Amino acid sequence: MQRIHQGAALCFTAFSAFVVWESWNLEYYTPLGPGAGFFPLWLGVVMAGLSLIWLVRISGRKGRPKEGLFLPEREGTVRLLSVLGAMLAATLLMDFLGFQSVMFLLLFFLLLIPGRQTIWLTLVVALLGSVGIYHLFGRYLDVQLPKATLVFLAGLGL
Amino acid sequence: MEAIQNLLMGFAVALTPQNLAFAFLGSVLGTLIGVLPGVGPVAGVAMLIPLTFQMNPTGAIIMLTALFYGTQYGGTITSVLLNVPGEAASAITCLDGYAMAKQGRAGVALSVAAVGSFIGGTVATIALVVAAGPLTRMALQFGPVEFFALITLGLSLLMGLAGQSMLKALMMGIFGLVLAMVGMDPVRGLPRFTFGRMEFMDGIGFVPVIMGLFGLAEILVNTEEKLAQVSVAKMSSLVPGKQEIRDSAGPILRGSVIGTFLGLVPGMTGSAASFLSYIAEKKVSKYPDRFGTGMIEGVAGPETANNAHANGALIPLFTLGIPASPTVAVIMGAFMMHGLIPGPFLFKEHADVAWGVIASFYVGNVILLILNLPLIGIWVKILKIPYGLLFAVIVAFMMVGSYSVSNSTFDILVMVLFGVIGYLLRKLDFPLAPVVLTLILGPLMERSLRTALDMSQGDLGIFLESPIAVVLLSLALLILIAPAFRFFRKKKGILSGEEGV
Repeated sequence: MQRIHQGAALCFTAFSAFVVWESWNLEYYTPLGPGAGFFPLWLGVVMAGLSLIWLVRISGRKGRPKEGLFLPEREGTVRLLSVLGAMLAATLLMDFLGFQSVMFLLLFFLLLIPGRQTIWLTLVVALLGSVGIYHLFGRYLDVQLPKATLVFLAGLGL
Repeated sequence: MEAIQNLLMGFAVALTPQNLAFAFLGSVLGTLIGVLPGVGPVAGVAMLIPLTFQMNPTGAIIMLTALFYGTQYGGTITSVLLNVPGEAASAITCLDGYAMAKQGRAGVALSVAAVGSFIGGTVATIALVVAAGPLTRMALQFGPVEFFALITLGLSLLMGLAGQSMLKALMMGIFGLVLAMVGMDPVRGLPRFTFGRMEFMDGIGFVPVIMGLFGLAEILVNTEEKLAQVSVAKMSSLVPGKQEIRDSAGPILRGSVIGTFLGLVPGMTGSAASFLSYIAEKKVSKYPDRFGTGMIEGVAGPETANNAHANGALIPLFTLGIPASPTVAVIMGAFMMHGLIPGPFLFKEHADVAWGVIASFYVGNVILLILNLPLIGIWVKILKIPYGLLFAVIVAFMMVGSYSVSNSTFDILVMVLFGVIGYLLRKLDFPLAPVVLTLILGPLMERSLRTALDMSQGDLGIFLESPIAVVLLSLALLILIAPAFRFFRKKKGILSGEEGV
């Protein structure tokens, strides 16, 4: 656990260094007053300082974080990654398959695999959910939801 | 007198059929969010902002504020019936509320909580009406120097309350400020941290970020465990006995005062209000050792306090333009998305909106009182829906909600990214509330600081010229360095103890 916390502290330090570097390339001061880089530069400096204090604290004997699992066991990790993977895939496929098809597939997958629902309940909820959300947002709230660019699906009005 | 006239004008706005419908919808959705496990008020309000895009600003804000205090009512139901707080502010209610449910007194606990919440919410709204005039007049005297000092004080209070994890709270506060730097520089209009992407020109959308940090991260944490079904305690009669009414009166009164007062203090959360109310009840009780075994005072006080806090926390937002809690910061973001700037000018330039929304608080609290008691059976049924089914629908809503902010799948990717970041930060025990506040307040804070420095031609002494700013900044400094003092005193104590040995 301590290693993970130390790694996180180093990530924060690297992030702060990046903020300082980016701000350095912006105007720090102009004849009119502070420039675009003024505030973020100081934020980066303070953040770097705090990250280093944290690193020192957790590396000492007293500030050592509690031992325990950081990531869940295998089954939990698979469930977690399957949810994230499904969301990413749905996002990337949305412009090709259209909102309704993607939402149906996403709900179907989430309900059946990590959600462990029965196939019939999964089918009904996925169908009603995808069509319902499409109509609520697309029709009543005027959100321009993506339509399928694949000819076959576009022909079905999806 | 002027306040009463304005309030009457507000009622004329709030009681139109359309706005009544929005208050009703917000109350129902808020209770639902409070009831649902895994969707807190911050993510809940952010998730439903896209539903308001087509509404007029008054209706939209009425719905979102009703949703906010509705979550406080809903959170109680799960605390009492499941021993699982629907949101953090109701956590303390689990102690006596669930004990009452096990004794077959769940109905009494819920009805006393609903009445207490109504009274607490109403007292806080009266405080808002009374305070609106003087606070607004005071805020109109504020320049960029005072505003910068006020925001700094609010943020330091939030971080100071993080206790032992103050260092982490500070890091999160700065992380939020850095995120707020993405987009156009608010003073000179130059792009920063955009990586050449058009999507970042308007800044990182706060709706996807908050949905990710609070909503998706919570779902990911829950997904780690098997998505089990929860067991719900049985409901009983809703009518409290005479003794229970007598025992609840004092806690409701004290909870109203504690909640309203703490709502005024930027950085104080609803959990702090309910926790302090619980401690106060324990202190004044003749039987403090019986707390935790089903004392009605342990439900009435905290539930009143958290709802009074929810309404009271809107006072600094409406009068000073400063959000006092993370959910109120999200509501502030919604104001801005609808082209309104909360603060003293809201009363001047959009008096109908400001007073209409304030009047709607009374209406919303009445709706919630009427709604909640007869509908408890329905909420209990919703609690029985398997989480394995609910989470998929919540994920679908988060995706479409993020998409609808700017009709772009890019915002869904931002939401997923911040979901992962939020998940990791939670695992590392980082508090996420400071990120919301600084993300929303960042541009305002930077603009105030830079305008002040523009005025003084870079001389930091300008912050010492204003007595208000000096007081506010000194308080902020005291709050931030207090833990260091405690640390050195403790260390000195240990050392002198060692010497003694």
